[in-house]
Amino acid sequence: MVDLLFYVAALVAVLTAVGVVLARNPVVSVVSLLSCFGSLAVIYLLAGFQFLAAIQILVYGGAIMVLFLFVVMLLNLGGLNPEDEDRDDPLFHDRRRSAGGLAVAVALGSASLIGILRGARHLAEPTNGLVPPEEGFDALPALAEAMFTRYSLPFEAASVLLLATTVGVMVLAKRQRSIPPAGEERS
Amino acid sequence: MNPDLIAQYFNAECAAALAPLVTLAGGLLLLIVAEWFEPMNRLRPLLFVGSILGAAWAEVALLNAPVAAVLGGTYSADKASALWGLVFLASTLIAWVHARSYYRKSRPFLGEHDMLLLTAPIGMMMMAGALDLTVFFIGLELLSIPLYCLASFRRDRSESVEAGLKYFVLGAFSVGLFLYGASLIYAATGTLSLTALTAAAATGFSPMAQVGMAFVLGSLLFKLSVWPFHLWVPDVYQGAPTPVTILMATGTKAAALAFTLRITGLLPESSAGLIALLAVLTMAAGNLGALVQSNLKRLLAYSGVAHAGTLLLLVAAQRASGELSYEATSAALFYMAAYVATAGGAFGLLAWLEADGEHFTQIESLKGLGRRRPAMAAAMTLFLLSLGGIPATGGFLAKWMVFSVTLDAHLTGYAIAGVLMSVIALAYYLRVIAAMYMEPASDQVAPPMAKRTDAMLATAFCAAAVLVMGVLPSVFLGLI
Repeated sequence: MVDLLFYVAALVAVLTAVGVVLARNPVVSVVSLLSCFGSLAVIYLLAGFQFLAAIQILVYGGAIMVLFLFVVMLLNLGGLNPEDEDRDDPLFHDRRRSAGGLAVAVALGSASLIGILRGARHLAEPTNGLVPPEEGFDALPALAEAMFTRYSLPFEAASVLLLATTVGVMVLAKRQRSIPPAGEERS
Repeated sequence: MNPDLIAQYFNAECAAALAPLVTLAGGLLLLIVAEWFEPMNRLRPLLFVGSILGAAWAEVALLNAPVAAVLGGTYSADKASALWGLVFLASTLIAWVHARSYYRKSRPFLGEHDMLLLTAPIGMMMMAGALDLTVFFIGLELLSIPLYCLASFRRDRSESVEAGLKYFVLGAFSVGLFLYGASLIYAATGTLSLTALTAAAATGFSPMAQVGMAFVLGSLLFKLSVWPFHLWVPDVYQGAPTPVTILMATGTKAAALAFTLRITGLLPESSAGLIALLAVLTMAAGNLGALVQSNLKRLLAYSGVAHAGTLLLLVAAQRASGELSYEATSAALFYMAAYVATAGGAFGLLAWLEADGEHFTQIESLKGLGRRRPAMAAAMTLFLLSLGGIPATGGFLAKWMVFSVTLDAHLTGYAIAGVLMSVIALAYYLRVIAAMYMEPASDQVAPPMAKRTDAMLATAFCAAAVLVMGVLPSVFLGLI
């Protein structure tokens, strides 16, 4: 039963992830992404990470999705509609580049798959296989303790990161008056 | 949480180790506060330089009393990390001084520029001191995200926006590689701590962990701009505002190198030859690419790729010789210190030229500079000779140290190939020097070169550092 649920969730996750990339309509992409997040949450639950699953739904399914929908709503989507303008866009029609990208993706994917499968073959050996997480790994107290002791540096640094990102996004997104090149100001 | 646990983690050692980071973060907050009121804006340079100097002071204090590992062994502030920290701070300060004369005073978002610039060294220090993949990852993001924004800071230029976007998309890809690799490593070994991973690697990694390690190395090579991950470098370095290029070319490279040297123990022993081969190919790609450039900024970008190749030889040498060797680390530190002064000086002069107009970075427009601005041409010549590795400059001794470490690790063939590549590199550095001194000036393209005191001081400082490192290296080697 658990196995079946995992395969269903994994299949949905992969298909919807492909859908996010391939869909021509941004709204379809966003909805695919939502289902992808949902099925990932199911996989987390099956793996025993209740907290992570809850966070996945709250943060990704909730907050991030709302952001995406805002962006989709605020952008003028005229140019992105299918069969409109990108017929002439070389980026969409350069077969050679797409083939090259696909080749790289396939090569990376198969390399990691071979590694994972070979790793999985060694599962029976206790020293070489996957290491299961400790008991109580996902429990909130353990998580909180790790976050505020051992991992307090990355935790605090992440807040600096968010601050800097906010500043940066503001610079990039704010409408600027046109600025003459640097040389013209000097007398 | 009980007080014992708090005392165990947050003690005086921890405070000393994190003092540089906290100083910079505090400076960032003060810079934000300074934007609130008009007259407080004038404090901005004081705050920026103050936090850099404060952090440098904390690093010097760490140099005298190094701290091995704090916070449960996730961050180290040993001697090497403290010295790396000083390299990062110098690189940031040089970039900031040149940015001051590069941007017009009336330009909007100058405060934001300083905030983003001050965030980058926090990330670099975390990368250099990381003993845990999580710490490294946050450090990498803390370095990269401000740089993405800074690269596209001149939104009036389409090249700058393109550079930012290109850097962002490729950088996001490389960070994705890192995360994927780290998750595979964690799945295979159950730990993210470098100490535990090094112990596990000594008994042999499972194939899954090896694949993960390959991904992690790939993302590091991207930040180091090593072949075949170097294609973004010329476009991004050229498109980004030149002061930002200083930070990208020197600081980012140093931070990625510091961490790569730390994790060589996780690579399989047989990979030393492969890394050395990558190093030689990178030097070839950088030097051959630089030979055909007509724009000095692009030429220096390709030369930066070639230098990344030289630095990668150190990684190969360290892997080949087994344990964390003192020589490799000190050679890397000296090389990067010399490179910060040299490339910082050269790109700084370019920033000076470029502020008067995009086309002044063409080699064509440098013709006759030796007669028009002798001091500037002399400084440029010094930096180019140091990049080429001519004796009596810091660049020569740095190269010499790298090749001697490579020879000690019995990578003789690769060392010889590296020396040959350095000779090829001289061809294009000398071409620029010849243009400055031997060819007549063409009047219509001569850069006006407005007088700027702070840029001049920074250039003089870099030139002095290059000379001192070349003639009296013991001043710097004594620190290491």
